[in-house]
Amino acid sequence: MTARDTHFKCLNCGHEYDGVYDPDKVTERTCPQCRSNSVRRLPEKKATAKK
Amino acid sequence: MMDVGRHPKVELMTFSEVESITGFVGNFNVRVRQKARYVDASECTICAECAEVCPVAIPDAYQQGFSSRKAIYLPFPQAVPSAYVLDMENCLGNNPIACGKCAEVCEKKCIDYDDQDKFVDLEVGVIIAATGMDVYDPTAYDEYGYTRYENVITSMEFERLICAGGPTDGHFIRPSDRKAPQSIGFIQCVGSRSRDGRGNPYCSNICCMNTVKDTLLLCDHYPGIATKVFYMDIRAFGKGFEDLYMRSREEGVRYIRGIPGTVVENPENGNLVLTVENTTTGQLEEHELEMLVLSQGVIPRRDGDQIKHLLTLSTTSDGFIMESHPKLKPVDAPTKGVFIAGCMESPKDVKDSVTQAGAAAARASILLNAGKTRIEAITSQINSELCNFCGICAKVCPYNAILAPDRKAKKAPIIIQAACAGCGACAAECPQDAIGMRHFTNDQIMAQVDAILAVEPQKHLVTFACNWCSYAGGDNAGTARLQYPTSCRLIRTMCSGRVDEKFIMRAFRMGAPMVLVSGCHFADCHYISAVRWTQKRMDRIWSKLDRLGIRDDRLRLEWISAAEGQKFAKVMRELEDKVKSVTKEEIEFTMKVLAEEEAKAQEKKAKRQLEVTVL
Ligand SMILES: [Zn+2]
Repeated sequence: MTARDTHFKCLNCGHEYDGVYDPDKVTERTCPQCRSNSVRRLPEKKATAKK
Repeated sequence: MMDVGRHPKVELMTFSEVESITGFVGNFNVRVRQKARYVDASECTICAECAEVCPVAIPDAYQQGFSSRKAIYLPFPQAVPSAYVLDMENCLGNNPIACGKCAEVCEKKCIDYDDQDKFVDLEVGVIIAATGMDVYDPTAYDEYGYTRYENVITSMEFERLICAGGPTDGHFIRPSDRKAPQSIGFIQCVGSRSRDGRGNPYCSNICCMNTVKDTLLLCDHYPGIATKVFYMDIRAFGKGFEDLYMRSREEGVRYIRGIPGTVVENPENGNLVLTVENTTTGQLEEHELEMLVLSQGVIPRRDGDQIKHLLTLSTTSDGFIMESHPKLKPVDAPTKGVFIAGCMESPKDVKDSVTQAGAAAARASILLNAGKTRIEAITSQINSELCNFCGICAKVCPYNAILAPDRKAKKAPIIIQAACAGCGACAAECPQDAIGMRHFTNDQIMAQVDAILAVEPQKHLVTFACNWCSYAGGDNAGTARLQYPTSCRLIRTMCSGRVDEKFIMRAFRMGAPMVLVSGCHFADCHYISAVRWTQKRMDRIWSKLDRLGIRDDRLRLEWISAAEGQKFAKVMRELEDKVKSVTKEEIEFTMKVLAEEEAKAQEKKAKRQLEVTVL
């Protein structure tokens, strides 16, 4: 599996943003807006639909 | 190194690489590749006749490329073993038409072109890793002109130029015209304490004192040489270091507080003109120097990933190897029986490296002398009857403590109890519920969930907190008298990686308005990488909640360290408001949906058990 662009959503403030997700190099997620760690990686299908 | 080489109880394996490490504390199996030297080290008398006739000349890496070496060479004067080695990649070969000259002249006949790599298998009880570091490559700092100007060199190159065993026999000359420079500058923090992305954010620890030492060397050997040091801060905190720094100033070395913005070469004389803001005076200054030394920082080894993988180690955010505990176990790796020393842990000088190596050796000998070790009481255990041999447990174990199952032979995985640290990630990830923990069992955790939600569940925030960080963060908030809502109820697990989907679902099923999972920051994880599985699992559970029509933001995740009492209190206060926003209808709907899900799951489980019994 390789790194790919993914859509993230903060469950604390609702902020959504794009980022890179690499299943082999999982890094700590922090919402750039509110600093919460409740950042969900949206499933690919959903992310594409949102774009 | 010579002492180590001669020590009767130390077997030094040079020119060798560790290929694989398996096993666990007390029973490690290490496979070492001894690379072919093509020269019999026990016979070689370093007469140097082979090198004299060798027609190949390539840059000598040991001398930082300032001189050349032959294809057959002595790596450096004090090399152990003291014997030549043949660099086969650059050798022309032994075909008489091509070459073969070295073998012809070797009186001892110790050159063997057909030499092969050998593999050695070792059984060891403990491992000390001291793989060192690399130096920062300053080419990214284009304004210093390292790649453009010959007279801009790095501190490593300076070492070779001033060394009596160096390419110039210790005569310090500048590369462009081979004349002794009359003025020299040092730029500190090249690649260290950098926030612009070109260097590293950390302080490299050794560069300040290395430069102070270099200036004193110059003063001793070349009195009258004008030396200037451009710096941000001089960090001279070690024993006797401040004295050394003061001596350097007294010898006339000028310390200028400011990092040059540009370096331009004067094409006529090869001198370098530096423009710098002297932050002490606030003036913009120009300095013309004959030579410039970039005091390059240190970085983790470039092949560090390989070492990490071999020893199942993890790194801190700066890329250096993480210790088991920064204060209480600074030389223990998180993997039992593995110890670390030197710059692989963080940048440090010789004295600190020797101190750390001594400590690591002492820690290792405690284990070896005892001959036995205490193992964790909280380890996982497998119910092989429930196992479907998927192997997920072996994949998630940060300690490689689980021997993968054999699907064909229907052999369940085996948990090496001595290697298991009890994070519980395997138990949480097992899709068959075939793994349980000794202590912090599923039943115990479920009972806590039930107890918290037995009365007025809609008012409670169920929080799973890991033992080492978040739970301690809660303690920290308490001892600091920070106010946070009483609605928060904590359930302690050893690691957030232990928090199983079914614990969370049980909480929602019992009427919890919100659930929080909290654990260590990734760099602080007590269980190497177990916390990473928590994040992955949360994504999965959020998707499941979505599918069931339950709001995903009712399940939260926060990384709270033991020192972050304030964050703990802040998160609790914020979530208190969210708890209040969850409606009664929402909670009832959630309970109903999850009750149905539970019924379905139980039906499925009963069916499976029946199948197993029939089989
Ligand atoms: Zn946010």
